Amino acid sequence: MKTDSVDEILKRYFQPDTGAGDLARQVLRAARESARESGRLLDKISIQTTPRGVSLIRAERLEKPATAAARRLAEQAREELAEYFEGKRAFFSVPVDLSEAPDFQRKVLAAARRIPFGEVRPYAWVAQRIGHPRAVRAVGTALGRNPVPFIVPCHRVLQTGGGLGGYLFGTDVKSRLLSLERTTPVYEGCTSTHIVCRVGCVHGRHMRPDNRVVFASVEDARSIGYRPCKVCKPQAA
Amino acid sequence: MDEERRLMGRVARGDEAAFTELVGRYGGRLLGVARRLLGSRADAEDAVQRALLQCYLGAGTYRPEWAVSTWLYRILTNVCVDELRRRKSRSGELELPARPDPPGEHLDLRRALGRVPTEARVLLALRYVDGLSYGELARIRGISINTVKSQLQRGKSLLKSALTKGGAA
Repeated sequence: MKTDSVDEILKRYFQPDTGAGDLARQVLRAARESARESGRLLDKISIQTTPRGVSLIRAERLEKPATAAARRLAEQAREELAEYFEGKRAFFSVPVDLSEAPDFQRKVLAAARRIPFGEVRPYAWVAQRIGHPRAVRAVGTALGRNPVPFIVPCHRVLQTGGGLGGYLFGTDVKSRLLSLERTTPVYEGCTSTHIVCRVGCVHGRHMRPDNRVVFASVEDARSIGYRPCKVCKPQAA
Repeated sequence: MDEERRLMGRVARGDEAAFTELVGRYGGRLLGVARRLLGSRADAEDAVQRALLQCYLGAGTYRPEWAVSTWLYRILTNVCVDELRRRKSRSGELELPARPDPPGEHLDLRRALGRVPTEARVLLALRYVDGLSYGELARIRGISINTVKSQLQRGKSLLKSALTKGGAA
């Protein structure tokens, strides 16, 4: 086949679509809704930390951090959660302290942490993963009592048939988190430095919006001359 | 050009009529690119809506040294590329559309395009839907003109071999 004929085929295939229809009206409606939704979840939650990490996130008032190290971790957690809720973060770097959790629950939470951002798995998958395939109900209970929701993403675990299942903050919040993760990218590059990061990396905070490009994978970014960030190590994500 | 930049200024001030005018001008072309990248009208509409929402909410960050079209295409390709990432992680390697259009005359080409790496495919779509220049493509994806040329060349040669093997042309 000649290159010219590939050109012709491509020209025919890539003709612009006709009619954007109702797009503007739909977008304006979505913009008004997103403004109304700004009664932010972050204002409703309290964070408890130890010097080792975040130990509890709940809707009620919690103990204040006892040490400076714990206070710093609480601030970091609040910042990261704010970015996450705004669709500007696809991973958490703040440590968690699950030392108070029973052994079984720790295993369940560790398995839930392995579910990639933006994806979901059934309760049975978690049960399988921790080597107790028949303990599906116990897995549900352990996730329902997740001490550090959002950071340990128990909201990514659904019923086998796709039903939402329960959630500590209500199924509305669970569904909002899932749709938030569906629209938050994971890899972004900076056109001035040609570095690709995970969304939420400290480098990204200083990036001008018009320098930002999204990638489907680190390999894609590499294929056009971007290199992975040495801080957030996106290739290991 | 200046008129479009003035239009963007009005959008940034929340002028809904200006935004409707902007969508009227670019909506079809944005849909064309998204549809060819994502494979179905429904997925393309979702992507364009998300991109336009980002444009509307982020119009204040628009800088007049950008052509409006280049800025819009940057945002749209960011949304589409991320959708392709999600599909890849769901389905292993094949980036099949979530809701494919019914098979038609372009089926072979659609399949063949599925074998072209994401970055090259994005550039092909932008180049052929709207005839964008190498310079504009370079700006949209933040790469050099030489990289644009080599990616387009690579994409076309992969397409050619996929189409020849598939017996489509």
